[in-house]
Amino acid sequence: MLRLSNIEKYYRTGLRKHWVLKDVSLAVNEGEFVTIMGPSGSGKTTLLNIIGMLDDFNSGTYEFLDEPVHKISERKKTEIHKHYIGFVFQAYHLIDELTVYENIETPLLYRKVKGKDRKAMVADILDRFNIVAKQDLFPSQLSGGQQQLVGVARAIVGKPKLLLADEPTGNLHSTQGEQIMELFKTLHDDGMTIIQVTHSEKNASYGTRIINLLDGFAKEHSTKTD
Amino acid sequence: MYKNYIKIALRNLTRNKSNSVINVLGLSIGIAGCLLIMLWVSDELSYDNWNSKADRTYRVASEINFAGTHQSYAVSPAPLAQALVSDFPEVESAVRFRDYGSFLVKRDVQNYKEEDIVFTDSTLFDVFDLKLIAGSKSALTEPNSVVISETAALKYFNNEDALGKTLTFDDNEVYEITGIIKDMPENSHFRFDFFVSLTGGQEANNGIWVSNNFPTYYVLKKGVDHKAFEAKVFPHLLEKYIGPQIENIMGATYDEIAKSGAFIRYFYQPLREIHLHSDLVAELAPNGNIQYVWIFLSAAIFILIIAVVNFMNLTTAKSALRAKEIGLRKVMGSLKSNLISQFLCESLILTFLAFLLGLALAHISLPAYNQLANKNLSIPFSNPSFWTIALSGTFLIGLLAGSYPAFYLSGFKPIQTLTGRLSDKKGNVTLRNGLVVFQFLIAVVLIVATMGIRKQLSYIQNKKLGFDRQHVLVIDDAYALGNNKNAYKKRLSEHPSIVMSSYSSYLPVPSSRSDSPLCKSAEIREDNCVAMQNWDIDEDYIKTMGIELKEGRDFNIAMATDSQAVILNETAVKLFGLEDPVGKTIYGSADAGPDAGFASIPLKIIGVAKDFHYESLRENIRALGFMLNESSGSLSVKLTPGNPSEAIAHAERSWKELAPGQPFSYRFMDESFNNIYRTELRVGTIFSIFSGLGIFIACLGLFGLAAFATEKRTREIGIRKVLGATTFGIVSLLSKDFLKLVFLALIIAVPIAWYLMSQWLSSFAYKVNVGYSIFIFAGLSAILIALFTVSYHSIRSAIANPVDSIRNE
Repeated sequence: MLRLSNIEKYYRTGLRKHWVLKDVSLAVNEGEFVTIMGPSGSGKTTLLNIIGMLDDFNSGTYEFLDEPVHKISERKKTEIHKHYIGFVFQAYHLIDELTVYENIETPLLYRKVKGKDRKAMVADILDRFNIVAKQDLFPSQLSGGQQQLVGVARAIVGKPKLLLADEPTGNLHSTQGEQIMELFKTLHDDGMTIIQVTHSEKNASYGTRIINLLDGFAKEHSTKTD
Repeated sequence: MYKNYIKIALRNLTRNKSNSVINVLGLSIGIAGCLLIMLWVSDELSYDNWNSKADRTYRVASEINFAGTHQSYAVSPAPLAQALVSDFPEVESAVRFRDYGSFLVKRDVQNYKEEDIVFTDSTLFDVFDLKLIAGSKSALTEPNSVVISETAALKYFNNEDALGKTLTFDDNEVYEITGIIKDMPENSHFRFDFFVSLTGGQEANNGIWVSNNFPTYYVLKKGVDHKAFEAKVFPHLLEKYIGPQIENIMGATYDEIAKSGAFIRYFYQPLREIHLHSDLVAELAPNGNIQYVWIFLSAAIFILIIAVVNFMNLTTAKSALRAKEIGLRKVMGSLKSNLISQFLCESLILTFLAFLLGLALAHISLPAYNQLANKNLSIPFSNPSFWTIALSGTFLIGLLAGSYPAFYLSGFKPIQTLTGRLSDKKGNVTLRNGLVVFQFLIAVVLIVATMGIRKQLSYIQNKKLGFDRQHVLVIDDAYALGNNKNAYKKRLSEHPSIVMSSYSSYLPVPSSRSDSPLCKSAEIREDNCVAMQNWDIDEDYIKTMGIELKEGRDFNIAMATDSQAVILNETAVKLFGLEDPVGKTIYGSADAGPDAGFASIPLKIIGVAKDFHYESLRENIRALGFMLNESSGSLSVKLTPGNPSEAIAHAERSWKELAPGQPFSYRFMDESFNNIYRTELRVGTIFSIFSGLGIFIACLGLFGLAAFATEKRTREIGIRKVLGATTFGIVSLLSKDFLKLVFLALIIAVPIAWYLMSQWLSSFAYKVNVGYSIFIFAGLSAILIALFTVSYHSIRSAIANPVDSIRNE
């Protein structure tokens, strides 16, 4: 599905380069549930952002569904992640000004999904996540777990091929976290490709593969846990 | 999609209430102000447009340089109109007016004083589109016919049919009403209620080309080139009519006289330009001034710019708060163009909201504004072109105000917005600061202009004029007293509050009067004559007015020779070049009619009066001679200081006895004096109000910006406080940034304001110095206003509990 080769990312401070990622290569196949682990500052989030095309890299190549991401235009990138990628954030990042319903609806608006279909899709997701009763509430009226549930709902409402999750349970307490992870597992079982970043060994155990990042190097891969 | 945009826009509006209020209110006040001014401007520009032939109608004006006086007049000779029609095939029709001043008009017994009376030719309706309700276009063909306005008809005949009825003028002339017109449009450079037929009038048919008393208008046939026509009119008239008459009167040909620099010249004013571009002697009514149209137009634009700048500034400043939303939308697949249209949409919604509010504000304040501007303006709600202009203007403002924020906001990188705080880009801050400087620059210029205008106006009103205009009651129409004039004067002097009184032809306030020459020898020659005002006064005038004599003596009724004496003002003495004027003799004319020739009457100079201002202070003092003659103009009554009501009651009682049936009308001289500067006073007041508005809007913007600036620095302030900063230290830290901008604005504004002020003042012959005190005051007030505006937020954040602001992060 996607392939990164020799990805490098650094910041310049004066004459010195400050490396964030160095020579990272990685391939993910369709249907995998990959976990990226590593200590703070190891570049996990940066890697995830690069995969999600939210961030640029300095050198190396990145192919997504056979499209060379390092060569294509900003507009094309927007098109790709609009249609194939969903995001879940640690801090939920719901739009405060929008209700639960509208938050979930927004990606569909940008995909120009017709009104009727949109309604059906949002209703379907609300139903599936059991949050129909909450649809008219604003994010500030929800608990963290509920917010993240909405975050996930929003990420997958457009039926993306790839779901990226940056410490999705980081701000949640354990029962809420487990609920989210169970959800991920179900999604994965339904065939969705998932890449998550996490600190937690327990969360990692839900995945099919672990990649450890240490100071910008992808140290080790293919440690099957199940 | 757009439904979503609108929903979000409205939600944002209600969410950030104070910000929205500042934003929308500022813009709507700006729009209301702009709208009101534009109504005024478009009204000024619309003058005389109601005439269907306006684009080919012209007025003949004459420029005369003779005997030291060089003036342009809105009037021309009586035979001109006829000559234009008969000698020039290009002319379709022509009409004359003759303003003989006010008349006493009655239907049966009760006289009313009517000011708006003019005598005119039967061709009136061929030139001007006056709408006849009754009567025909030939209404003014017969002598002693009059066409009156609807208002006048209602006044004299109530609901009766006025057509065919008669009115009596000045108790002896009877006129038949042969037509009734709709009241004239307000936007006309002349407005009359009575148009009296000139047919059969003596002066109208006198054939004199050297006396100018008739405003003359002509309509050119369609397709005639006016330039070519213009070029041949005067040479023809000079050769055929004017030249021979001059030779007859002065005994020298026009060319000979012209050698010494004297000349007559005609020029031709397009009808539509008269109101704003013409300020000649003997205008039918005071005109407008294109200068004020420009001043107001720029004020309107400035106010709008300030408001739009506010809007842009506040929206971009607010952007930091919306960064997250923008980032998320991008992550969810929004294109840059989606975001741009979203923000433009928001801006348009706000602008239209502001437009509606502004329209309402303008509508509410219109009555007060009309009173202030002495106009009858209304918002043309039913006019489609008003809506087109207003709505497209609003749309444009919306786009303009929203475009920078839209492009700026949509350019955010999502990752920056989601991880950590978004730091304002440097260019962005610079632009915002630039706009604040610009706003305050305009504000300072407005403050200086307002103060300059006010200073000049108060200078005019308080300037020593050389006579005492306080406590002088003026009773008009002394002729109504007939033979009882002296009895009335005597009766008045019996009252304890009345010091003295005096009959005179003119008062030392501007009015329509003409010059005639006085000469050093018995013959009129350009080099020994001075064209000057000739005022008929009685022996009490100089004392009543408090005019000082520089040398010589006042008139004395006991000395019979004083009937052939003159008192000159200093300017006249200077123009004559007389070393020791008192006792010398000069010559004047009894009746300067062309056939009479120049009947020279020797006048002995018995005194010299100190110069006093009898015209507007826009002009220099001109030559003037007083002569002791009977006159029935006005009676000036000098009162003792204190409550004048008893003296007025006494004057009115006596009037009723001595002039029964005649209306008693009086005014105070200082009121008439203030009337000279009514336009200036009005413009001054309106300008002050609008510049106040402009400053207020600029402050609103600064207030909003200060809110964001402090909000962004909340954490910094918190940390500083924990580290021991005082409240004062923090307030000054926060205010410093804004004050710097205001200072910069001040430095740029001062030369601009100085230049504009001196431009405006250059139209006054007597003016104040634009001293540096105005600039210091304007600067200080700008700084204080800014400081005061900013301090609300800085003080609030400075006294806030630092723990709250730090914990937030």
